Amino acid sequence: MKIDDKTMQALTASLKFRQLRQELHASNIANAETPGYKAKKLDFEEALARALDVDDQLGMKTTDSKHFNVGGGGFNNLQPEIYEDSNGIVDPTGNNVDRDQEMAEMAENKIMYDATVQLINKKLGLLKYAIGSGQ
Amino acid sequence: MSIENVGNMNKMLSNYSTQDWTKSAAIDQASLPKFNELNPNLAQGAAAPQSFSEIMASSLAEVNNMQVEANKAIQKLASGQTKNISETMLAVENAEIAFKTMNQVRMKVIEAYKEIMRMQM
Amino acid sequence: MDLLTSLKISSSGLTANKKRMAAITSNIANAQVTRTAEGGPYQPKEVVFGSEPARESFAEILEGQLEEKAQTVHATEIANSRKPPVLKYEPNHPDANAEGYVAYPNINTMEEMANMIEASRAYEANINAMGVAKSMAMKDLEIGRN
Repeated sequence: MKIDDKTMQALTASLKFRQLRQELHASNIANAETPGYKAKKLDFEEALARALDVDDQLGMKTTDSKHFNVGGGGFNNLQPEIYEDSNGIVDPTGNNVDRDQEMAEMAENKIMYDATVQLINKKLGLLKYAIGSGQ
Repeated sequence: MSIENVGNMNKMLSNYSTQDWTKSAAIDQASLPKFNELNPNLAQGAAAPQSFSEIMASSLAEVNNMQVEANKAIQKLASGQTKNISETMLAVENAEIAFKTMNQVRMKVIEAYKEIMRMQM
Repeated sequence: MDLLTSLKISSSGLTANKKRMAAITSNIANAQVTRTAEGGPYQPKEVVFGSEPARESFAEILEGQLEEKAQTVHATEIANSRKPPVLKYEPNHPDANAEGYVAYPNINTMEEMANMIEASRAYEANINAMGVAKSMAMKDLEIGRN
């Protein structure tokens, strides 16, 4: 139970990315009537899954202790993918933001954010308990 | 504190199995030994009663396994492979309870040992 | 971290929609005005939205990951509508021209009401986004509290 194991790193990374995603949602909602504005989306789940390599299926095996562990543990260089949504109905002014969908996705992002904070608290709590030897 | 309580603790540990949320780490209830039949001198092949230290070691391994599974569940949630928050929360909570129970068992065992050592012979 | 930028974006949306509401209510109130200080009927107002990058200083852009992706919105222009005034035949009206026609502003009150509902919903959506950003920031304060 390390402080900085893969799970904690994944949780803190997902906190950061969900904040960025909230920014984009706010931007989309504010610009729901701006002519020519296209909705923007942020995807980080794939990059995170690759960095986590949950079932040890994607990583490359090393046979010598001097070999670098390629493809694993790269949490500091996680790059989210920010792109403009090409789906969606484009209205006559060139805007394709669906405000209701943005609000629904924002709500989901918020719930997952709360869940992430809860999980961080649980892990930290267990760590503190172990330090205090449960008295 | 009698040794039976430790046996009950062990059974409680095994009840918080990981069957609910992962497919691995199924705990086989039938192989848990009965403490009343403990006699390290009896060797009966594969079904020989295990010593107390072996039971503790295997329980520790199970608790550690639950931690590993809980971590995997968290990673799956964070990377979006599952959206089932309740499963993840339950897994983490189970692992935490198992760990804390294990810790209590450890403390009780140490206390019992100290008590025994204090007995005047 | 960047939730403050989120608040800035949402508040820009609120301001822009408030200006739109002002234009709409002005249009509805002046739908029958035939005589203004500049002469001629009332000119309906229209608000044009434009977006700008949320991080304006170069230092902010350097350290932020989103660069210019997240956009604030501004009511860039409050323009007079280019719709020509509606002419009605009322020869006895004080503002009638030589042929007896009075120029009324080309304002469809129903359309303006629909726009008002739309602006109100947009305002609420921005308030919602602001609330989510704020409660995410408050949640950050609970990390480690057990």
